[in-house]
Amino acid sequence: MKRASQATETSQIGRSVPRLESWLKVTGRAEYVHNLRLPGMLYGKIFRSTVAHGRIRRIDTSAARAQPGVHSVVTAAEVKTVVPDPYYGPAFHDQPVLALDKVRYVGEPVAVVLASDPHVAEEAVHLITAEYDELPAVYDEVEAVSSKAIVHDALKPAGTFPDLKHLKGVKNTNVALDFRLRRGDSTKAMASAARIFEHRFRTQQVMHTPLEPLVSVAECTEDSLTIHTASQSPSFVRIEIARLLGWPENRVRVRVPFLGGGFGAKLYIKLEALVAVLSLLVKRPVKVSLSMEEQFFTITKHASTFRIKSGLSRDGRVVARECEVWWNGGAYADIGPRVTQKSGFTAPGPYDVQDVAIDSYAMYTNLPPAGALRGFGIPQLVWAYESHTDMIAREMGIDPVEFRRKNLLREGRPQATGTVMRDAAIEKVLERAAELIDWGKPFDRGSGTRRRGRGIAIGFKACIANTTSLAAVQINADGSCTVYISTVDMGQGSDTAMAQIAAEVLRLPTEAVTVVHSDTDVTPFDMATLGSRSLFHTGNAVKLAAEDARAQLDALRQQLGLPPDAAIADIFKKKYGMRAGSVTGVGNFIPPYTPPDENGQSDNATPFWMIGATGVEVAVDTETGRVRVERLVNVADVGTPINPRIVETQLSGASIMQLGFTLFEKMLFDGEGQLRNASLAEYKIPGLLDLPPEIVNEAVVAEQRTGPFGAKGVGETATFGVSPAIANAVHDAIGVRLTELPLNPEALWQALQQR
Amino acid sequence: MSGGTALMLMMKAGVLRPSRLVNLRRLGLDQFEVDSRDALNVGAMVTLRSLETSPVVRKGWPVLARTLGTLSNVRVRNVARIGGALAHGDPHMDLPPLLSALGATVTIAGPGGERTAPVESLYAGYLETTLQPGEIITQVHIPALGGRQAAYLKCTTRSADDWPALGMAVVLDGEAPRIFVSAATDRPTRLSAAEKILSGRTLDEKLIQQAAVAAREVQIDGDLHGSAAYKKHLVGVYLRRAIDEARQPSH
Repeated sequence: MKRASQATETSQIGRSVPRLESWLKVTGRAEYVHNLRLPGMLYGKIFRSTVAHGRIRRIDTSAARAQPGVHSVVTAAEVKTVVPDPYYGPAFHDQPVLALDKVRYVGEPVAVVLASDPHVAEEAVHLITAEYDELPAVYDEVEAVSSKAIVHDALKPAGTFPDLKHLKGVKNTNVALDFRLRRGDSTKAMASAARIFEHRFRTQQVMHTPLEPLVSVAECTEDSLTIHTASQSPSFVRIEIARLLGWPENRVRVRVPFLGGGFGAKLYIKLEALVAVLSLLVKRPVKVSLSMEEQFFTITKHASTFRIKSGLSRDGRVVARECEVWWNGGAYADIGPRVTQKSGFTAPGPYDVQDVAIDSYAMYTNLPPAGALRGFGIPQLVWAYESHTDMIAREMGIDPVEFRRKNLLREGRPQATGTVMRDAAIEKVLERAAELIDWGKPFDRGSGTRRRGRGIAIGFKACIANTTSLAAVQINADGSCTVYISTVDMGQGSDTAMAQIAAEVLRLPTEAVTVVHSDTDVTPFDMATLGSRSLFHTGNAVKLAAEDARAQLDALRQQLGLPPDAAIADIFKKKYGMRAGSVTGVGNFIPPYTPPDENGQSDNATPFWMIGATGVEVAVDTETGRVRVERLVNVADVGTPINPRIVETQLSGASIMQLGFTLFEKMLFDGEGQLRNASLAEYKIPGLLDLPPEIVNEAVVAEQRTGPFGAKGVGETATFGVSPAIANAVHDAIGVRLTELPLNPEALWQALQQR
Repeated sequence: MSGGTALMLMMKAGVLRPSRLVNLRRLGLDQFEVDSRDALNVGAMVTLRSLETSPVVRKGWPVLARTLGTLSNVRVRNVARIGGALAHGDPHMDLPPLLSALGATVTIAGPGGERTAPVESLYAGYLETTLQPGEIITQVHIPALGGRQAAYLKCTTRSADDWPALGMAVVLDGEAPRIFVSAATDRPTRLSAAEKILSGRTLDEKLIQQAAVAAREVQIDGDLHGSAAYKKHLVGVYLRRAIDEARQPSH
């Protein structure tokens, strides 16, 4: 490694720098909250609801309290002594710290046992009993629209969002948000279309399955609180805890070390409000670490139903499209309303359609809450519109890739919101995916009971707006560099990428840069690490901060009469007469944005577009219905890759995760809302044997001109096309079309029987 | 302890809360050897992984080594022991149908002394064995494969390393075949009707098809891995495939 103070002329951008933290991780020394133990710390174990919807009649904690070793048992009654109105959430203040008056899903936290020994706490949880007056429950997102079972007595939007204001206090509804977009006149256009196609698609509820389950620790003094937590959004946690307690933000400190995966599971508030309240109640540090199994009852991915209707001209152009999407948000809104809206507006797909109508509904049901999961709703939408697109093409006798070419949304054309597409390599990504999967070339189609087929799909996503990132870059007296940001490295490699950006500006080797992990007492505000936003937003902020620091150093050189190439260490030495001092540059990045009007129209709906296409070759066992993906090709527009190796692993990782959601992952509920497979023995994620023998990942040559050194986000892009590409390939192989995920063997076998 | 793979899951789920766990490690049951009659005698505390990687097993009972290689994952096989794998009684296990088809027996020790029983007789129903309180399996006795042809195939419907929706074990000796199905049934179940059709006959397509139809007559149960109707269909498919697999010249 080069010495820190030594300048380098080698570009740090486009260099596959090995992860800065990899050595710490493989030697077991990286910091995780899971390993944190504080003096006097108590462990909390959660007692959960056994009914899907009911009024709490009685909670009997006496036997648990009497258990030797138990410190105390906490219910909502005690919570209210610390926080009188204990409801939290990013979009709606609807989720109680512990169930209050009502329970709304099986598995909802009702009480917590505290003990010095986690096993004692767990034993005591079994001694708690609760009685409920059961209420009618609703589980299906479409039924929830007209159901008599109402999950929340009145809607409680957080109030920070102007577009949610009209929902405040609304009663007798399970619709948490009704997003609406109208462009042109789809009814009229549909009436004049030569052909009309309408299909309905569904996706299932699944879990994030981070290898490190959710974990938080809180410690308090009389008037301050420190929370150590596996969170993707430390700044939000501080805001929300301060709001709940009625404290100024500077008395709440939120620290986040490394995360063992997040995927959207660790966003906003999860366990933080609970540990904060517990710690304040017992005046001792409190830790709650969930088991893998408990995560099923904490946060999940939306199940969804999507009705999509297209009007086609005789020559195969989509002239009108109507989209109706219902999102199964479960019992608490979490970020569901934002998924409904921010993803909802891309529901017509990356196609140039003049007349569009979108209705997207965030629904409450009596299931575990759903939030963001690697794609923020986009994979559910692409699943539907790319299956639909293939069905239309085949029905009209047009090659599916040719059909897409004909309708593609090209650079400079307005998307459904009216926002003009810029730096969106849609065409290039589609063409390259087609080329890599050998589209149009002959291949082995199999024989007998093993049939092979090819499929392709393309999707896009608008990065969430309106969001802010700040950064500080400190140049130390020896010329080394420290970056202060609140972006959380949960395995995606952000520390390395941010160090590369700072290093490039300062002409240092990346290895000379240290990234300080999120600590709200130290690192500046950041909206959250989500939705592939950090490389673009925080990356821009780091670049601005590094440029600020560089400008200060240049000014110092001039002031001190040093040559422009004087080593940084020499500047400080000359200024202070010894090795002392530092320079801090700051960067504040917020991209321009125009909020949508009442028809969902905006001339600037997003700071950048992510484009991903997937091509697959599958083999289908026609006797068992088993699908084996034999070739998987992921192509993406990620702008200019900062670290090509990390880009590649992000693409492959995202596609493999989506492969599990496509082929077999599913949370199975019975008629009472009980989850039947709440363990990794019965809920399977892909293992090494499930991987396609050939996986190709490629970023097309592209540039996001507003991004740091031309870069933009990559974490979710390869999730977009996987599900429909596989369904399209299955259809190509055996002529069977499935419209509901997962594409499991029995579903396929049944469809084959009905053919 | 043996059977911990299953017990730990049940304990974590809170469905089993044992007051006592007994350490069996010092019973000296962790050896296996080929006896004078070329049978394999396996101590109940032998790990699945040590059997899987043993050259003796690979040469003499290749079907066993192959099956072990597909059982759960290597981390589990490193600690899971054969006695536990047989005593659990979950029909989704791979070894009970295979060892039943191979004609293996177990030695059972209890307060009343030792007794010997065929593996297939261990199972009384779903998670129910014929082991009496105080009894443990001490030895598994697997007869020499000899000239017999054997195969075990399973169908997983979720990830590749999932519990099977169906397991099918076939052992052919040119005369009377032994065929066991599991996972689709509440315990490893002998497909006697199919065996009868195939006994002493030349195994052609038509005959195997007849046997496949007959095989579907056993009681098939649906579970999270597949409905009863789907599994009923799989029984026929896998009977044919397992017979084909067993007759592969390389086996």
